Amino acid sequence: MDQVIQTFIIGLSNGLIFALVALGYTLVYGIIELINFAHGDLFMTGSMMAFFLISVTFKLTPATEPVTMIAVILLVIAAVMVATAAINVAIERVAYRPLRNAPKLAPLISAIGMSFVLQNIANLLAGPANKSIDNLFPTTNLLSAFGITAIAVNFQQAFVAVVTIPLLIALTWFVDKTRQGRAMRATAQDPDTAGLMGVDVNRTIALTFLIGGALAGAAGVVQILYNNVTVYNLGFRFGLNAFTSAVLGGIGNLRGAVVGALVLGQINAFSDRYISANWTNAIVFAVLIGVLVFKPTGLLGQQLADRA
Amino acid sequence: MTTLVVKDQDPYGHGIGGWLSHVGAVIGALPGTYRRELTIHRRRTVLLTVLVILLVTYPILNKLFLAEFSRTTFPLPLPDDTVVTFMMIFGIMAIGLNIVAGFAGLLDLGYVAFYALGAYTAAFLASPHWDSVSIVFLANVAPGFPGIHLPFWIIVPIAILVAGTFGALLGAPTLRLRGDYLAIVTLGFGEIVPVVFRNLADVTFNFSLGPISINAQHLNLTGGSLGINPIDAPYLPFTNLVFNASSGYAPVYLGMFLLVIAILFARNLERSRIGRAWMAIREDELAAEMMGVNTIRTKLLAFALGASFAGVAGSLQASYLGATTSDFFTFSTSILVLIMVILGGIGNIWGVLLGAIALTYVDKTFLPYIGQQVQQIAPSFPNPAQFNFLLFGLILVAMMRFRPEGFLPNRQRAAELAAHTQADVEAKVDEIVAVDAEAEVEASIAEDPGIGLDNLGPPPGQAEASGDARAPETTDEEREL
Repeated sequence: MDQVIQTFIIGLSNGLIFALVALGYTLVYGIIELINFAHGDLFMTGSMMAFFLISVTFKLTPATEPVTMIAVILLVIAAVMVATAAINVAIERVAYRPLRNAPKLAPLISAIGMSFVLQNIANLLAGPANKSIDNLFPTTNLLSAFGITAIAVNFQQAFVAVVTIPLLIALTWFVDKTRQGRAMRATAQDPDTAGLMGVDVNRTIALTFLIGGALAGAAGVVQILYNNVTVYNLGFRFGLNAFTSAVLGGIGNLRGAVVGALVLGQINAFSDRYISANWTNAIVFAVLIGVLVFKPTGLLGQQLADRA
Repeated sequence: MTTLVVKDQDPYGHGIGGWLSHVGAVIGALPGTYRRELTIHRRRTVLLTVLVILLVTYPILNKLFLAEFSRTTFPLPLPDDTVVTFMMIFGIMAIGLNIVAGFAGLLDLGYVAFYALGAYTAAFLASPHWDSVSIVFLANVAPGFPGIHLPFWIIVPIAILVAGTFGALLGAPTLRLRGDYLAIVTLGFGEIVPVVFRNLADVTFNFSLGPISINAQHLNLTGGSLGINPIDAPYLPFTNLVFNASSGYAPVYLGMFLLVIAILFARNLERSRIGRAWMAIREDELAAEMMGVNTIRTKLLAFALGASFAGVAGSLQASYLGATTSDFFTFSTSILVLIMVILGGIGNIWGVLLGAIALTYVDKTFLPYIGQQVQQIAPSFPNPAQFNFLLFGLILVAMMRFRPEGFLPNRQRAAELAAHTQADVEAKVDEIVAVDAEAEVEASIAEDPGIGLDNLGPPPGQAEASGDARAPETTDEEREL
């Protein structure tokens, strides 16, 4: 039983990181019906940047003062979020916006191209080898304070929760409560009408990419601090996991993406633990195919305008 | 719009027999067709003839003097026999993917799965892998040798069946999906198949149901990450002719033979009732369905037939290389074939063939050569050959933005891609049809009266000149309208 709970905790951390990336997919799909294939690679770009900032620029080690460490990590998160947001907006401008009236598969193919471009730029700049950092956090079990030793929750897992949960709440608030969020929802429902109502559609779509990119960057930083390793082709597998989460929860549906990511995090963790890590990818893809074929609206129902 | 067709459109009957007699008729009429072409379009026909002769004799010329010439005087490297063989393999794949993505408009991002299935079919049926049995039939190994050894010529049809069956199996539940969801499902399938081949190297299971009981311990089904090797090379029974990597240009001609069959098959499909149904679905699925096209069945056929081409390519690749591992079959290979199709001109057989040849050259000859040069000048500089997919990714983005119809476009497809509204599409199609009708009248005046245009179809090479009349799909278009 302890093992099951332990696996569940690992799955929860996986799922929270998936959620940040899945939101990027679901936001973009909700608004322009594009599977932003390059999104996973943007996440990888974020984790690569974080790797260089942490290990080369700031040279953080486990011995660094806790206060300095927290300050630097916050700085790195902010810097990477700004950078990936800017990259994502630039990609939208160059590769997707000119294709907005083209057949639907054209921007998807363009996105696949962008995915390879990002991947190979990372490969070119960082090399094909795994990039790893030292674990910066203490390895003590946080639950030992409560006298529990059979199950471990370490600092890394707590860190994942501390960063992702506020971001998820902030995003939900932004989309639900602000004027810009309302513009996003209006554009997702019907871009033409939204335009007639005074919404600047291009700006709103760019904003969507900005937010998605920032979340992917944050996820990248969290990823490297949690797993301590990144590699240039990490984005493909991770991106498909995140996309599967988005579809599982109902694409276009923000809460759905989070729920889907949490479920998929568990599927990953339990498959790694009880089946074999070799099969995890195949299982994730089988889940993706299964959901798309049998329940394409996902668990919570998709929120898309029905555009013919 | 394309299904209300005359019932007796197919004078040669249905099925493989009908197809063979059709091919026979086309080949029988070739001299006449050629003479006619020579009178109508003299310059183009002569040019094409020279080009075809050059392409066909290239491996021999290369061996005789071209390779030496390119090493010493010509600034660019010429592809060697291995690269040309891969051009043929990728040519077959591109033509197959063009059936799915070009004719039927279904984006398949997991095409590599069928390539893998073809390769593993060859590996299972022509290697010492199943060493507990010994079945040797018309193969280039001694009788009693362990493993199943069937000849390549039997493996190819089996690979077609296997890949086609899996294509239909994948297609059956997924074809009702939206275009982009279908793309992702195929991608998932393309990732699962190599994983399955990689992981089934050590299978232990117990199964009992009533009197049946199967007990397997550590069964090596697929060779795992090492793959399967050696695989028997293709071999012409009763001769010494073997087609492997060390037999010079022989495998090039084997590949060319299969490629020509693939081209003939694809061109006939394009102009058949099914081909027109595919195009109708691509343009407007709802309208096609209203006109009586069985969309599910038609799309399934596109998937199965497209997949079978990859099965042929896969079995050829594995037999030619003599080995296969799951690492050959990655997502990037699917995308490479997709780029060939898009670069050449989606929907146009000659275009995608050109794309396959050009991209294989860039990938396997040009970039390694540039890499070598760069390494000589600046050894610390990254080798461009390792970043081929940076270039290919940029090509995809640039093509979608500036020339989505490709360099040798299919006119109908180009019109669809360029048009932004339905009205535009209709206007452009009408325009094309009008131009074609006019050109067709002119052509039939110049034509030898003894030859029926409808039965023959255009001679090879005709569709290449995009401005010309009587490209097949518009001939049909016009007849039906």
